[in-house]
Amino acid sequence: MPTAPPDPPQTSPRQPPRRVWESRWWVFGTAVFLGLALLVANWVGGHPGAGVAMLGVMVVFGSVFLVGRRSETIRLMGQPDERWRTIDLAATAIAGLVLILIIIGAFLWELAHGRDGSPYTQLAAISGVTYLAALLVLRWRS
Amino acid sequence: MDNQIRQLRTDKGLSQGQLAEAMGVSRQTINSIETGRYTPSLPLAIALARFFAQPVEEVFHADGAP
Repeated sequence: MPTAPPDPPQTSPRQPPRRVWESRWWVFGTAVFLGLALLVANWVGGHPGAGVAMLGVMVVFGSVFLVGRRSETIRLMGQPDERWRTIDLAATAIAGLVLILIIIGAFLWELAHGRDGSPYTQLAAISGVTYLAALLVLRWRS
Repeated sequence: MDNQIRQLRTDKGLSQGQLAEAMGVSRQTINSIETGRYTPSLPLAIALARFFAQPVEEVFHADGAP
């Protein structure tokens, strides 16, 4: 027969303080903000219909975080534990690596077609400088 | 990393969710630790060992460790 769950233990690892951007309302607000920015940019560019559609997509995306509390995955995206933070870090690294590879490929493509490589030259430079700066800062902090 | 978490948990009659709530992590994290797919941080490993009143080295066994 199962025993009753123990009292809340004093051994629980100290969880890092919850950060503002881990709130589901923050995610929703950010999505709406980006959606409004897309609406304004499209409006200025003469495509208000596309802007409204993009705003709608962003509102729906943000709403998933508000109403999807029954899903453990969605809930963890708002309140990550240490495993989820590790997964998030790896996913971010993979996305960055893919982006850098695409930038290098596009840069080579532009050069091969007789152009100066813009804007991929600048993007590659920003990536490289950011990586080196991050290495230095993280090494200093650890 | 091999560990005794599932055995210790079931011996105590706890569900993964109950242990997860006690540790302040998700049920998925407890499941991943039990199946060896996720190696917990040192603070979480110590907390788990203390929760079950066991030395850490009795709960977690590093692969290939002497």
